[in-house]
Amino acid sequence: MLTAKEIIETLRTKFNNHIIKADEKVSNQVFVRVVPDTLVPLIRFLSKTLSPRFLINAGTDLVRQDGKYLVSYIFSFDSDKIFLCIEVAVDAAAPDIDSITPIIAGANWSERETRDLLGINLRNHPDPRRLVLADDWPQGLYPLRRDFPYDYKPPSEPQNKVHLKKPPEGTKVIPIGPFYPVLEEPAYFKLFVDGETVVDCDYRGFYNHRGIEKIGDTKLTYNQICFMAERICGICGFIHSTCYCEAVEQAAGIEVPLRAHYIRTIMLELERIHSHLLWLGIATHIIGFDTLLMQAWRIREPVMWLCEKISGNRKTYGMNLIGGVRRDIPHQMHDKIITVIEKIERETLEVIDAVMGDTSLHVRLKDVGILTEEVGRSICTVGPTARGSGIPIDSRVDHPYAAYDRINFEVAVESGCDIWARTLVRLKETMESIKIVKQCLLEMPDGPIMGEVMEEIPSGREAICCVEAPRGEAVHYVQTGQDNRPYRWRVRAPTYPNLQCIPNIIKGERIADVPIIIGSLDPCYSCTERMAVVDVKTGVEKLYTKEEIIKR
Amino acid sequence: MFISKLKQALICLKAGRVTLPYPYKPSPTPEGFRGKLKVDINKCIGCAGCANVCPPGAIEVIDFDKGWRRIQFHLTRCIYCGRCEEVCPEKAVKLTDEFELSTNTKEDLDLTIEIYMDTCQRCTRCFKPEHPLDKMMVTGFRE
Repeated sequence: MLTAKEIIETLRTKFNNHIIKADEKVSNQVFVRVVPDTLVPLIRFLSKTLSPRFLINAGTDLVRQDGKYLVSYIFSFDSDKIFLCIEVAVDAAAPDIDSITPIIAGANWSERETRDLLGINLRNHPDPRRLVLADDWPQGLYPLRRDFPYDYKPPSEPQNKVHLKKPPEGTKVIPIGPFYPVLEEPAYFKLFVDGETVVDCDYRGFYNHRGIEKIGDTKLTYNQICFMAERICGICGFIHSTCYCEAVEQAAGIEVPLRAHYIRTIMLELERIHSHLLWLGIATHIIGFDTLLMQAWRIREPVMWLCEKISGNRKTYGMNLIGGVRRDIPHQMHDKIITVIEKIERETLEVIDAVMGDTSLHVRLKDVGILTEEVGRSICTVGPTARGSGIPIDSRVDHPYAAYDRINFEVAVESGCDIWARTLVRLKETMESIKIVKQCLLEMPDGPIMGEVMEEIPSGREAICCVEAPRGEAVHYVQTGQDNRPYRWRVRAPTYPNLQCIPNIIKGERIADVPIIIGSLDPCYSCTERMAVVDVKTGVEKLYTKEEIIKR
Repeated sequence: MFISKLKQALICLKAGRVTLPYPYKPSPTPEGFRGKLKVDINKCIGCAGCANVCPPGAIEVIDFDKGWRRIQFHLTRCIYCGRCEEVCPEKAVKLTDEFELSTNTKEDLDLTIEIYMDTCQRCTRCFKPEHPLDKMMVTGFRE
């Protein structure tokens, strides 16, 4: 097993002259600052020898401090429980950087996001199109720079539209989205099809990028962000607020009482139970098996009522603050929780028993949407999507947070690589979650639920936190700052890496299977501004702009 | 296949009808539910602590006239987190169990309170007089 010191040493022996500084700022989190030219050789060396998993990169504007932009590449050594953050300071006068996407395919989106939002130009990027910014956002205006006011509304420049790929020779275009009946949230997939078979696809999303990172580091305070982080996702909100709080607590060195850790764990697992049941319903709804949708959601509903009893609201619990939780789970509540989750356990087992032998489900889900382990690793997929392809990663075990280091549970891994495998992973996890909740209730110690929080959180510290959401792991990276708010807060939701594997897994599949393949990732994304209409008779594609739609 | 379908049918039959008769019958909320907030004007001291912590900025404080402070709670922006209730030193803000808030007029969801505050002779900022009788002693008081 590697230790943080060994990682630093390995890097020092090979790149000693190019490393500016290397230290372990928070326990098991290594921050290494290197000169920009070394970045690509260093990452190539890393991925060949130690092969860490790429999580995310984050750009920070440090122009006021030292005239530079800081780009941090965050990696995870899963079995060694270590985060590695490679930092590069780029001169603000010429913010150019070599792309690492040719080495790590999973860095594609996050590098483009840094370029879009901070204006760091990428050399040798295979697909340098605009990703996050709106189609009519002006060129040369970068919202995450510190001199950009958070409430500034730039003029519209429609000529900057992103051009999606042209269909290959001999194929037709089928648009899926932006509004598509079975995928509840909008995203636009442009499928290139040859007859019934999907040849390739292109994706445009981020229509409703809400700029929460910007508002988090300019307007809100540490404790206000907890509530906004909770609203990143409608289903796994508590995961994001926990992840943010744990990152700040680690950076500032705040001690959280054990009872608060246990309460967080219970809420996280309750959230996983209802999210997986919700997914089971939606996935079977996509393939037209609405009976299971009704039953899965019926089974799920008592969890929502239970959460309402515990926290005061059925979905946005609002329980987390920096330093602990706001509401206790009193002893008289324990029996209620046990009754509810035991009923769910019983009913879920009944459902599992009933659907396991259903051959019509097997026909729709087995050998469909194959994500091989190799592709899954190269695109850095996470969560049930990765575990269904035999990649045994789970941040509850790899980077324990809350009370997970005290809890015994099994990580569900399947090697089927298809949608059925992902379904099995989720069903097994639901049962594991029920066990975890029971164990937590048994072992939960008495004590305070809110720790001592210092008057002012010291600035200039940084920390990374991963929390396993139902759909994968959420990553939050926090740099503490002045004025009682973080200097930089970077969020990566689990769908971010998972969605990047869509072109790979729908290649060669039939059109009718595409919705369930996309649905099998349990995607979570937001809203739209234009649509494509294909004239059936002539095959001519016309894109309607926002203005045209409004006029109609 | 056939057995599996039979089991599924059994699950459905066993569950029966689960839809609640809401809104024809009221649906009670559990204890500790975070609903529409209520402000007790007699307890409020106008410290604006709630406005400071409010995550969505739904609480607005306006010192509109000499000695008068208006606190507006815009419930259309409220996220019902209950932080105002938590930090209020006088327990003037309470979250109730009211959740049926849909309305045709947006103003129904605005709570406004106006408090007469004394002006500190040193810093000229407002504070609420200790005793109601003290208010009357202050020049310019017109409640």
